[in-house]
Amino acid sequence: MDLVFFAQDCINGVLMGLIYGLVALGLTLIFGVLKVINFAHGSFIMVGMYVSYWAVTLTGLHPYLALGIIVPAMFLFGYWIQNLLIRPIFIAERDVREPITVIVVTTGMWYVLDNLALLVFGPDYRALSPNPLKGQMLNFGEIFISVPKLYGAAAAVATAGLLFWFLQKTRMGRAIRATSLDRDAASLMGINQWKIFNIAMGIGTAVAGVAGAVLTPFYNVYPTVGIPFDVKSFVIVVLGGLGSIWGALVGGVIIGLVESIGPIFMTSTWTEAIVYGLFLLVLFVKPSGLFGQKHDW
Amino acid sequence: MKRIQLLALSLAMSLMLTSLAFAGPTVKIGNILPLSGPSASVGQQGKQAREMAIEEINAAGGIKSLGGAKIEMLYADSKSDPNVGVTAAERFINTEKVNVITGAWNSGVTYPSTAVAERYGVPYIVPVSVRDTITERGFKNVFRIAAKDSWWARDQFTFLKDMEKETGEKLSTVAFVYENGDWGTGFVTQWKKLVENSGYKVVLDEPYPSTATDLTPVVNKIRRARPDVLMLVSNAADAILLTNTLADYKVSPKVIIGSGGGHADPTFISGCGENARYVFDIVEWETDVNKAGAKEVNEAYKKRYGSNLTGEAVDAYLAMYVLADALERAGSLDPAAIRKALSKTDYTSGRGMIATYDSVQFDATGQNKNAAMSVVQINDIGKGLERITVWPKPARRAGYTPVFPMPKK
Amino acid sequence: MTQNELKRNCLIGLALAAFALPLVVSSPTYLHILIMLFLFAYMTTSWNLVGGFAGVLPLGHSVFVGIGAYTSTVLWLQYGVSPWIGMIIGGLLSAAVGYLIGKPTLKMRGAYFALSTMAFVEGVRVMVENIDMLGPFKLNGPRGLNIPPLPAQEAGFWSFQFATKEPYYYIALTMLILVLALTYYISHSKFGYYLKSGGEEPEAAQALGVNVASCKVAANVLSAFLTSLAGTFLAQLTLFIYPKSVLTLDLSFELAFIALIGGRGSIAGPVIGALLLRPVSEFSRIYFSDTLPGLHLIILGVVLIVVMLYQPRGLTEPLLGLFDRITAGFIRKPQEDTV
Repeated sequence: MDLVFFAQDCINGVLMGLIYGLVALGLTLIFGVLKVINFAHGSFIMVGMYVSYWAVTLTGLHPYLALGIIVPAMFLFGYWIQNLLIRPIFIAERDVREPITVIVVTTGMWYVLDNLALLVFGPDYRALSPNPLKGQMLNFGEIFISVPKLYGAAAAVATAGLLFWFLQKTRMGRAIRATSLDRDAASLMGINQWKIFNIAMGIGTAVAGVAGAVLTPFYNVYPTVGIPFDVKSFVIVVLGGLGSIWGALVGGVIIGLVESIGPIFMTSTWTEAIVYGLFLLVLFVKPSGLFGQKHDW
Repeated sequence: MKRIQLLALSLAMSLMLTSLAFAGPTVKIGNILPLSGPSASVGQQGKQAREMAIEEINAAGGIKSLGGAKIEMLYADSKSDPNVGVTAAERFINTEKVNVITGAWNSGVTYPSTAVAERYGVPYIVPVSVRDTITERGFKNVFRIAAKDSWWARDQFTFLKDMEKETGEKLSTVAFVYENGDWGTGFVTQWKKLVENSGYKVVLDEPYPSTATDLTPVVNKIRRARPDVLMLVSNAADAILLTNTLADYKVSPKVIIGSGGGHADPTFISGCGENARYVFDIVEWETDVNKAGAKEVNEAYKKRYGSNLTGEAVDAYLAMYVLADALERAGSLDPAAIRKALSKTDYTSGRGMIATYDSVQFDATGQNKNAAMSVVQINDIGKGLERITVWPKPARRAGYTPVFPMPKK
Repeated sequence: MTQNELKRNCLIGLALAAFALPLVVSSPTYLHILIMLFLFAYMTTSWNLVGGFAGVLPLGHSVFVGIGAYTSTVLWLQYGVSPWIGMIIGGLLSAAVGYLIGKPTLKMRGAYFALSTMAFVEGVRVMVENIDMLGPFKLNGPRGLNIPPLPAQEAGFWSFQFATKEPYYYIALTMLILVLALTYYISHSKFGYYLKSGGEEPEAAQALGVNVASCKVAANVLSAFLTSLAGTFLAQLTLFIYPKSVLTLDLSFELAFIALIGGRGSIAGPVIGALLLRPVSEFSRIYFSDTLPGLHLIILGVVLIVVMLYQPRGLTEPLLGLFDRITAGFIRKPQEDTV
């Protein structure tokens, strides 16, 4: 009996963990290329959730089919933000590898986006409708598996795989990797650094959109919904290694498992403390994270 | 120095002139509410209810004993932050020179901001903020409309006992699951005191972070503990998430009872749909209350803002009428006179009196001693999911039999 | 008079004016806003010792505010120890924590350091929210601690409680002036030069024999101590503390913003940043919070973005430049005398 519950918690932990990984994926990608921590990442997730919500509400599409609308919309949003707000800072602080002012700008974006959502959509908690995935469960005796989470976890792995393939095998992907390794050298090779930054930001934001679409079938949408995901994403990307795609998924699964299995032994409020403790431990022992590259810190 | 004084004087004069330019005398009320941030939803409801009440009062001729004085409302956003709330109270009192303050929903904000009002001797009406100690500090200027924590908790247990008697269903174990904020943990101390003499056994005592992104682990713990009764204190987002997850994992204790807050939020039913069915919640007011005028007020509110009144909105609405009544009797804007009038309040009729009980009266601590609770059940009896009053029995909606215990899923 | 003498005289004038201000401004509201302004300028100046001079971005300084606030409050409530003494004990405790956490984290670069400080403050907040009693000390979990206000005749210096705002005003102002003087002294000392060189050119400084790491840790210890004192002050001013008010990322972020808007690494930066940012947040909250919910935070966000886009090094340099240009007309340049 106890083993059944343990298995149940493990399954949920892994599924939820992969979804956390997907939520953090955009952040790690943006950091990998731009060397910028996007403090507005939670707000990007929030925007992704609202875009999914409206895409589904207005068209009546299945949330996963609505990705056809969500992904391009979010890509353009990220591309535009990078071009408008972050590029000028890179130009002004050309000699700095990790401009700290970007942190302030992205935090400013966070304030603006969250409160714009409050102004425009009001403080209501919105549930997706129509929601074909709502409450769908697979049942194996005492063990339940949530279908929307299973889809979400699959989407996380698929998105990571697609990104990996894109970065390894395509021309644009190689240009992005070259820029992330050495901006100046890449520029000398004829790569337009600014365009790469815009595209990387666009892709990172589009991935946040995918996360939004995955979350809305089992999560409510409201203006501050991004905040709990924000700090969690930071922890995940550092655990996995800033800039590493697979690291984000592994980091996510670790957090998911701690959150799921921890409460067997303690109240769930303490698992949060364990997560931060683990995070600091990794920073002290292996700051480059599980899959990070040494030269990035 | 002289010149500066002259400058300040002329500035003050011009300010006074501009304020005199408004027709007739006005009563200024400063309202502190969480208008942005995680509690923005309840903050907005409180603001809407206040606005509607004050517009009605002003349209009906204002405060007649003050020469038809109109009430002017000022709002400040606390962001649920005590420091911001204290600054707002300071500003209302010293700069805006308000006559009365109301607020602040979050007990954490009400607690220190009432201390500010007490220091300056400005009356402070607390429509909702349930922490017991708010009215237990010997303050003279604080008046609370809503019931306090310990009364909510007491009535939840009384409800359970009464229902056991009524239905013959035996309950023996309870689980406490609550958000780990000042409200949740404060509420639970009351439960823990009461449960000792109730004969129930506590099988789970589980706080969770209200910003939790996944409550499945908590739900699994509930599943393992198999309580007869699941008692909850939740904010809106987590109430919805928890209810949906409970349904997903087919966890069905005999009774689930919330403590207002998230469970009373208008979006709780839309966010949960069928999963909210049969959940009990304790409230101070419900749309089906059998009280003259309640229907009309609710219709007017719904027409204006698109949702039903909540217990918390009613407290805010009622508070404005209680205040207008006190001002009428005080016939003066002197804080001491207003305070005296408030303490002698016996508000029994009038448009604002849509509460379940008969009269608003404050005891020596400033607590509305008549504030009473009722318990509702969410169910669909042919008109979609709605909140149906079931307890106390005399207040129960005619013809409704509570579903107790919940059917197994 | 040269430009520098003029600036010095202006500063002295400003300080005197600040001391005289309560004679003119009697409204407790404005005094309260000014007190908060001084307090934030003070905290940011303390932050600046690490965040500005040592060239890293700490985003967890509220942990020291929290330690200061909790230490003095617990000692006052349970043992009747004067908050002034609690203030020092809290400061020492913070300094110890600053050392323990600074030692491993300050070796990290850029983003990693910023993230680790954030995780630290979040971790501490979660723990305090879970702990009702820490050994014999009552922390009261998420409900926080309330300092019962003393009646006016019993309030006073020893209890760090005052019936009026003026004493708080003068304490905050004195703290600010002292920390500014300390910063001035440090930035002109050998330690200050080491620190700055370590922040700007760590490799070069290392090569010249500066122990960059221990300089940074020393700066962190000092900064933690000073920041912690503000925590006690804040607790005594609001008489109510709880984890979400003193141990939050919001507070940590605000300090960093003030420094960055003002210009980190300069002595005047935090003061100028506080002068600009505090009123923006206070007044936009006063005037917009009831009309359009959230608009005041949008304004704050836009101000942050615009300043960073057009003056990424903060506003101190351009403002001083403006000062020079305006005053240039009043000052006869020495060369002109000789011609």
